[in-house]
Amino acid sequence: MNKKVISALLCGTMILGAASPVFAAGEGQKIALVGKSAGNAFFEIAAASFQETVEAEGGEVEVVYPETATADAQIKVLDNLISQDFDAICIAANDVNALQAKLEEAMDAGIKVSSFDSAPNKDSRQVFINQAGTQAVGQALIDAVLDITGGEGQFAILSATSQAANQNAWIEAMQTIMEGDEKYSGLELVEVAYGDDEPQKSTDQTAALIQNYPDLKVICAPTTVGIAAAAKYLQDNEATCKLTGLGLPSEMLEYTGDDDAHSCPYFYLWDMQGLGKLSAYATMALVSGDITGALDETFTAGDLGEYTITEADDGGTEIVLGEPLQFTPENIEEYAELY
Amino acid sequence: MAGKSGRSINNVPESSIKRMIFSWEGILVLIFIAVNIFCAFFSEFYNLSSLLRQMPVYLAEVFLMLTMAYILVLGEIDISVGSIVCLSATMSCIVCNTNAPFIVVVLTALIVGTICGAINGFILTKFQELPPMIVTLATQIIFRGIAEIVLGSGGSISVTNTDGFRMIGGKVGEVPYILFLVLILAVIFAVILGKSTFGRRVYAIGTNRLTAYYSGIHVQKIRMIIYTVMGTISGLCALFLVASSYGANTTTGNGFEMDAIAMAVFGGISSTGGKGNLAGGVISAFIIVCLRVGLGQKNVHAQVILLIIGVLLVAAVALPNIVGQVKRAVQVKNK
Repeated sequence: MNKKVISALLCGTMILGAASPVFAAGEGQKIALVGKSAGNAFFEIAAASFQETVEAEGGEVEVVYPETATADAQIKVLDNLISQDFDAICIAANDVNALQAKLEEAMDAGIKVSSFDSAPNKDSRQVFINQAGTQAVGQALIDAVLDITGGEGQFAILSATSQAANQNAWIEAMQTIMEGDEKYSGLELVEVAYGDDEPQKSTDQTAALIQNYPDLKVICAPTTVGIAAAAKYLQDNEATCKLTGLGLPSEMLEYTGDDDAHSCPYFYLWDMQGLGKLSAYATMALVSGDITGALDETFTAGDLGEYTITEADDGGTEIVLGEPLQFTPENIEEYAELY
Repeated sequence: MAGKSGRSINNVPESSIKRMIFSWEGILVLIFIAVNIFCAFFSEFYNLSSLLRQMPVYLAEVFLMLTMAYILVLGEIDISVGSIVCLSATMSCIVCNTNAPFIVVVLTALIVGTICGAINGFILTKFQELPPMIVTLATQIIFRGIAEIVLGSGGSISVTNTDGFRMIGGKVGEVPYILFLVLILAVIFAVILGKSTFGRRVYAIGTNRLTAYYSGIHVQKIRMIIYTVMGTISGLCALFLVASSYGANTTTGNGFEMDAIAMAVFGGISSTGGKGNLAGGVISAFIIVCLRVGLGQKNVHAQVILLIIGVLLVAAVALPNIVGQVKRAVQVKNK
């Protein structure tokens, strides 16, 4: 008697808890999109755009998140996906090398593997969809500095931590571009400060920069935390120094404007919607056989236009979306609702 | 002498517990069948072959449950095992990348694990008043800390020559090697715990450590052995984990101790000591594995799966208590 009651109870719990949307096997392609972890609003923008694009083409998308933001948890997710009947997996990898065995197993099982946002190594994927090359970011940032200073003057960089790989690569790219072109000879980089991606420390660093360099014309903060902290400080203190960099539109909304009352004329960030869309088209092209992920192949990504597969830094192949997206006083309100 | 006294202590609780444990195992077998029927209906991809293919990553944790059961029966806990797994995995990857023969890699993992386990055992037996929870919390941080230092800024390492790990991740037909190893070890560990003098002494210590001590049982020696073996088994777990990802990183083995404890407790092994046996633990481990595979195959949200397992766990811990209270209430009424 006891046994029955207990097991009935337990089974009941399982069934209740497991009630999840069951989808009918539709026509067209079935693509799984694997995130790094649940609850990342930034990633979800790309995921939503990915899903929309595939569904508009008659396919279906299942967005799956691992239980923790680790490669081990993603391995379990990949195991689950390989057991099912997906045509393709598009993954934002939590580790460069750890997923290789599983992704190779997926490819051996005939599943196409693409990646975006964060790439697994070149043997683990057919193609990577990159938001913007390091060079493109560096170029956009240094051009913004040149434009805002009016062609000459002092500027400083407010970065994240001194070890942050992305930021260091962009800063290095900016410096290389500066040295390589006469156009930038009027600019003087006075200091690279590190706010460690902490709001308070970033604010303190901004204050120190303003104090130490009275003639400072522009601060460039290639980190979302740094730019928001600096924007607030500069605007609150009515500093003449202006700001640009990489930031979130929703956080920068009240600081962005062309007049003296606002500290930031314009700034940049990835086009996550565009990235999701391009990834969707690239993955669908892999499934349909239009591309295999080899170098120099071309395909049409809907209204985004024609794209060519290029060589990635790690020796694999990638598709570069393009320039980072510029946020100006004109378009920021629209994007602030998204990011 | 010691053997006899160990037995006499155990006689009283053993006979009364036995009935309860037996019925709990019966329930577990029913749940196991129910879970499999449920999964088969729930996921059209759920079958023996997909189950065997997905099983290995979960089975690595079942190793840990086998020794964790001993520690729980002692009435103690070891929450450092996840970190031992991480450190063993890291060191074996490093040795593997020096092109050492694979047997050396295997030995590295096992030895590193054993040393870590022995450190736990040493601290706990030398300073007996220290609570195992706190000591292993400290070593949890220390072992993972060492792994993080060794791994450096990148935080991960991958093996360049994967042949050895590919081999231990292999299969006979569709059955992965790890399944055989888990079953063989499960039988060995279950027999030692359930049938041997050593096992009875473990129960005696878990039931009442002081009485066991006065009965002539070498309490500290037994604790030392168990914690050390826990480390060795963690090294074994690490090897199979590396076989699934060909590498290690700072999050390797994170939370494994809790999964192992969950499997054991769900299997009726009481965390207060002296109760439960490994048959229950093994069945419950397979229930959890099947449930995770079945639900995972329909892409049920990962947190929902954890929630279901959590509910099962609470039920497993609470039910025997509730049943006991009801029984007592009925008895009082009848009087």
